[in-house]
Amino acid sequence: MKTEDLIATLAADPAPANGPSLEQRAVTGVAMGAAVSIAVFAAFYGPRPELGDALSDLVSLAKTLLPLFLGAMAGLLALRAARPGASFGMAQRLVWIVPAAVAALLVWAFATTPAAQRLPLFVGHSIHVCLPSILLLSLPILGGLIRALRQGAPVQPARCGALAGLGAAGLATALYSLFCVEDSPLFYGVWYSLGILLVTALGAYLGQRKLRW
Amino acid sequence: MTDRNDRWGELLRRANGGDAVAYAEFLTEVAPAIRTIVRGRSGDDSGNEDIVQEVLLAIHAKRHTWRETDPVTPWLYAIARYKTADAFRRLRRGPVQVPIGEHADRLVDEGQGDPTAARDLTRLLGKIDDRSASIVRAVGLEGESAGEVGTRMGMSEGAVRVAYHRAMTRLRHLAAADHEKDEM
Repeated sequence: MKTEDLIATLAADPAPANGPSLEQRAVTGVAMGAAVSIAVFAAFYGPRPELGDALSDLVSLAKTLLPLFLGAMAGLLALRAARPGASFGMAQRLVWIVPAAVAALLVWAFATTPAAQRLPLFVGHSIHVCLPSILLLSLPILGGLIRALRQGAPVQPARCGALAGLGAAGLATALYSLFCVEDSPLFYGVWYSLGILLVTALGAYLGQRKLRW
Repeated sequence: MTDRNDRWGELLRRANGGDAVAYAEFLTEVAPAIRTIVRGRSGDDSGNEDIVQEVLLAIHAKRHTWRETDPVTPWLYAIARYKTADAFRRLRRGPVQVPIGEHADRLVDEGQGDPTAARDLTRLLGKIDDRSASIVRAVGLEGESAGEVGTRMGMSEGAVRVAYHRAMTRLRHLAAADHEKDEM
């Protein structure tokens, strides 16, 4: 087939199909995934006792707000990564607030915690619940997001998938934090971060497989 | 560069509004730029036009990912580089090289088109949808014209051509994936 013929054929169909934009699809995908995650949360986890009191403490509130913010920023970045040549904009700078805040919280907690309590608080008693739960609650959201991103055209599929994983993990971790009673940054600053990184890696792997086009 | 960007952006905006002439102009004008990118990667001219066409198809299939407020050239070049890199990755893994002597008797029947000549074409065709598979059989193997196939299947000639081209791209991907698996 000659290139001019191909061009003539393609030109017969100039306007892209009318449909929801990438952003709308992503919002739908995340909302559907989040609905599943919230249902799982309601059925098997439920909010911690005295949730309201806990959220009025800034350090405990941070373990919900920081991942929530991370989820929003990373989701936005994943969408940008799905449009060839698009710039990442402000979100690419704002997202660094999260690791910076976590690092600051860790230093603060280390400094203010009596030496004898550091190790018990760091190890906590729920690592074996925390890590699988973050993964579990992330999966529906990640699935919905990846599905939407397939309509895009990421030129670095693994990176786009990793950002989707980071975003899904952020939202899922914010949800899980409402159940978790370990309020020391020595615990959540380390183990939440690890859970989020695991989902990010999973996202990169999925992106490499599912987001190529 | 900026001139190009403005002009192509304007053409593509009009295309988005349904202007087929503007879209044809856009594709015709970007084709040489794509050719330059492909040639920059390959270093010579053989087989480049297939890749140029793949890039054009990709631009067509993904044209909704360009936002009218964004500059068009970064979008365009990003797609061209991605598809070109993809094509060369596939070519490098490429068809398995075997000494011709051992297989001379089996060469007689093999046509020119790469995936169509693959020994396991039937199996690959089983992996794509029936409609695409029958178009590939009719056009690629039995040599029917796109017009004839279109009449038989109730599609326009152009639609058959695009479907054929897409199916061939998918077959190449499948063949490359198979090959990758073999290596592992």
